[in-house]
Amino acid sequence: MVSVAEMSEITSPTVVNQTAPMPNPANPKVERGMIEIEQLDFAYGTNKVLHDINLSIPARAVTAFIGPSGCGKTTLLRCLNRMNDLIDSARITQGSIRIEGVDINASSVDVVDLRRRVGMVFQKSNPFPKSIYDNVAYGLRIAGTTKRTLIDEAVEKSLRSAALWDEVKDRLHVSGYGLSGGQQQRLCIARALAVEPEIVLMDEPCSALDPIATAKVEELIRQLKEQYTIVIVTHNMQQAGRCSDHTAFFYLGRLIEFDDTTKIFSNPGQRQTEEYITGRFG
Amino acid sequence: MIAPRHILGTFDEALASLRNNVLMMSSLTERSLDRAITGLIQRDDELCAIAIADDEEIDQLEKQVDKDGIDLLLRFQPVASDLRRVVSAMKLSSNLERMADQGTNIARRARKLNQHPALPETELITPMYTHAMAMFKDAIDAYVREDVQLARAVVPRDQALDEMNATAGRRLIERMAEDPEQLRGYLNLIFISRCLERVGDHATNMAEDAVYAAAAEDIRHQHLVPASDE
Repeated sequence: MVSVAEMSEITSPTVVNQTAPMPNPANPKVERGMIEIEQLDFAYGTNKVLHDINLSIPARAVTAFIGPSGCGKTTLLRCLNRMNDLIDSARITQGSIRIEGVDINASSVDVVDLRRRVGMVFQKSNPFPKSIYDNVAYGLRIAGTTKRTLIDEAVEKSLRSAALWDEVKDRLHVSGYGLSGGQQQRLCIARALAVEPEIVLMDEPCSALDPIATAKVEELIRQLKEQYTIVIVTHNMQQAGRCSDHTAFFYLGRLIEFDDTTKIFSNPGQRQTEEYITGRFG
Repeated sequence: MIAPRHILGTFDEALASLRNNVLMMSSLTERSLDRAITGLIQRDDELCAIAIADDEEIDQLEKQVDKDGIDLLLRFQPVASDLRRVVSAMKLSSNLERMADQGTNIARRARKLNQHPALPETELITPMYTHAMAMFKDAIDAYVREDVQLARAVVPRDQALDEMNATAGRRLIERMAEDPEQLRGYLNLIFISRCLERVGDHATNMAEDAVYAAAAEDIRHQHLVPASDE
């Protein structure tokens, strides 16, 4: 089941706080969807889990985070839309994350608007206990959109973008739970796209899917990168190699190497990266 | 640099087996070329026949390396240095097989030459053979030890072999004009010279593959201007 908190995180309303949206800076050098992380430290209580992360994530490209369990990649991903705010003891202790030049942790930033702009897809598909249509329309409705034609258009557009439309167009009003695992995950992607984010975060989106469903999601990622900045956490090295343009390798809370994916998987610059991706770690 | 052990012991075993087969091919190729040239110099048809027969085992090993390499790629999907090691082993095997074919060609030409009186010009072949085999051994040594410097040093040495081949070719064509009775013999020596020149080319290819395996650098065809720079 999906918790109420998770529901609000996934499809946060569009304009809850009109007074403090994240401004788009006038600086023409700042590209839409670009993420800049500077000297970031992060801790759960006294346990520091991210150390001095410096990373510039390019817009409209796929960036993969790889590394062994506990290296901090999911924590960093969750920092990008302030999902960690929901954990009491979790906090950024130093540094900044800027999206399009704006510090997302600034007090003026509306976290709800941030999460609309930075959508998230989770490891396990988590459709709401609603129809396929209502799952996709959910974010729009709670954002205040009531006009049926607008919602219809947005639902179809999102389902098409998620490469699911042809498979569900004749049963839009049946439960999302009736879909296969792969279809449910694409439904969750459609739900994230419906509120028109600029960035899509994916936390091991294919870990519970069979190879065919995985291939469909990977192909979808390839298509989506033309419009969205995508950051994907994956334990599947082949997946990172197949569908990302850039790869960041993390170990023990530190960014060890960030480079083009072809470089990382053909000739990484750091010994630790080489040993991890070739299966010689530890 | 020798890589630490893989978490999957089966991967290390498969890679070691692949390399061992490549090294076996290398030893057999070296022996085959040696027998072919000794058969020529000592006019020993028996050695030439053995050199020709050796080729079958090398051909079988080439097929085995290809099969094992593809199997390894399929089962383990190696990346980075592991991928380069597998790919370079397969490429080396292909070069070794072609090199061994040159040994067979030399042995066949030597048998024809042995049917006629010895030609003093046969001595043109010995320095070429020595040079080609030195390149071959250094290329293999560089591959085994992942010695990029040694591998790089092999490549320019091919030019000297090309020049020896050109010089031998000119000398033998002159002799054809002077002594047309032995035309077939001189022609066979030209072919043998050409075979050794090809051995040098394969050694160069192997040295380039050794650089790629160890340093992920493609040093082939460096005289070509990249399209983007035009």
